[in-house]
Amino acid sequence: MLKLMGLEWSKNHLSSYFKIILICIVGIFGATVLMGWGSRTEGEFMFVNYADYMALTNILIRIVFMIFAAVILSRLVIDEYRSNTIQLLFTYPLQRKKIMFSKLAIVFGFCFFSIILATAVISGLAYFLNPMIEFFNQPIQVSDIISTIPSVLLSAFMISGISLIPLFFGMRKKSTATTITSSVLVGFAINATVSDGGGQTSLFQFVGIPVVFCVIGLLIGYATFNNVNKKDLV
Amino acid sequence: MESVIQVNQLSKTFKGVQTVSNVNMNIRKGEIYGFLGPNGAGKTTIMKMILNLIKPSSGKITVLNQQVKSESYQYLKNIGSIIEYPVFYDRLTAKKNLEMHCAYNGINDYQFVKEALEIAGLGGVGNKKIHEFSLGMKQRLGIARTIVTKPEILILDEPINGLDPIGIKDVRELLLSLKEKYGMTILISSHIVSEIESIADTIGIINHGKLLKEVKMDEIRRETGEYLEIYVDDLEQAKRVMEQKLGIKQYETEGNQLIRIFEPVMTHSQINKAFIMNGVEISGMEMKVQHLEEYFLNLIKKEDQYA
Repeated sequence: MLKLMGLEWSKNHLSSYFKIILICIVGIFGATVLMGWGSRTEGEFMFVNYADYMALTNILIRIVFMIFAAVILSRLVIDEYRSNTIQLLFTYPLQRKKIMFSKLAIVFGFCFFSIILATAVISGLAYFLNPMIEFFNQPIQVSDIISTIPSVLLSAFMISGISLIPLFFGMRKKSTATTITSSVLVGFAINATVSDGGGQTSLFQFVGIPVVFCVIGLLIGYATFNNVNKKDLV
Repeated sequence: MESVIQVNQLSKTFKGVQTVSNVNMNIRKGEIYGFLGPNGAGKTTIMKMILNLIKPSSGKITVLNQQVKSESYQYLKNIGSIIEYPVFYDRLTAKKNLEMHCAYNGINDYQFVKEALEIAGLGGVGNKKIHEFSLGMKQRLGIARTIVTKPEILILDEPINGLDPIGIKDVRELLLSLKEKYGMTILISSHIVSEIESIADTIGIINHGKLLKEVKMDEIRRETGEYLEIYVDDLEQAKRVMEQKLGIKQYETEGNQLIRIFEPVMTHSQINKAFIMNGVEISGMEMKVQHLEEYFLNLIKKEDQYA
């Protein structure tokens, strides 16, 4: 299985995506720092503390890397069907379920680790740069960062599961555009916040909703590789 | 001779339409099996069923004594294939595509990659990316890919599509040498009859999803070859003369004037003399040669008439 994942990795030059991940991380950090710094210069802190700052940052991380996962999903699965290379792949002496599973495992893993990486890097940057730039008011304690680890792991897992939902739409039309568009829609639907002026909330804050979406995503992934032996490649 | 691929009563129905109907085939070890049929006859569907890309509605396929089931995959290591048109990973070079192919087949030694490219006439372009390749070059690369793992069986669906005459000749020679040198069994489909005629040992003719005939080329050569075409004024009298006076049994008639005699024993003058003496006037007489193409077209025409 690992060998198969390695072959998929090198075939699709996935290492080159690390550069884009870093650009995304810097972009998210830069945008949030500018928001915090800009609001401070106007006399009102947009973020009070680290938790406040990460609330917005996490939303951006989740949306960006869900879309990113859809791009990888398109490259690894949808493109194979679209260009008919799946036919070649299925004439190898390999279990088709394993081939498909390894592709989906890469998408899941890529999404999971890029969210963890982005959160860790942005937290680290905030820890070191906030005393200098002061884009939120209260100083960060290391314990503040450590205490978020379980929730970061959990939300990375759930977003990785949810990132498989676009597979359902993409596979129907074998379309990259459909896959990415559906990931944008699902990403915004789950993460967008609504506010009544006082407080604000998003669907992701209701634990049940991301859990249900994650289960749906995992079921779509399971159905995709489970059906692979039954369907004709016409 | 040992059977390598056996197909028994194979049928496939797509959305209520039967595209392959009770096909029986027997491909023997070390032979080139030519699969002939017009477009849409069902050749690709049968090849895809052998490769387990399409699941049969009924029937049985056996490859190297292993029955192909819906989850079978290990037998595929013995098969190199091109189906419809060769597809590649466009962002990779030709060489990298072949190396990937080896790796997916569990072969970690890429020594034969260079040789396979050279055999296919692509020795100098191994480091070019696929999007720079023409259709003909892709076909050649497709053939290089099928042989790079040295499989026992090649399944080639229209492999000469898009090739120039030199390319067609190269492929023909390559297939013959693969058969001779490595004892490969080759199933090749085409609608270009002359190409199949020059290399195949056995021919399977398919139309409307039915295998009309499976016959050895040697037999076809006996059945085809030369024949005598005669135009007469009285067909019934001519038939009586042929059967009773000349003892000719292998003949056919068309319309009310044309007779074709397939027996090579009679000379023109013997037939001429017998007809004239029995009151049959001859308006034309010509020696003709029937090629596989005519044989194929006649079979298809007859099938279409009775369909």
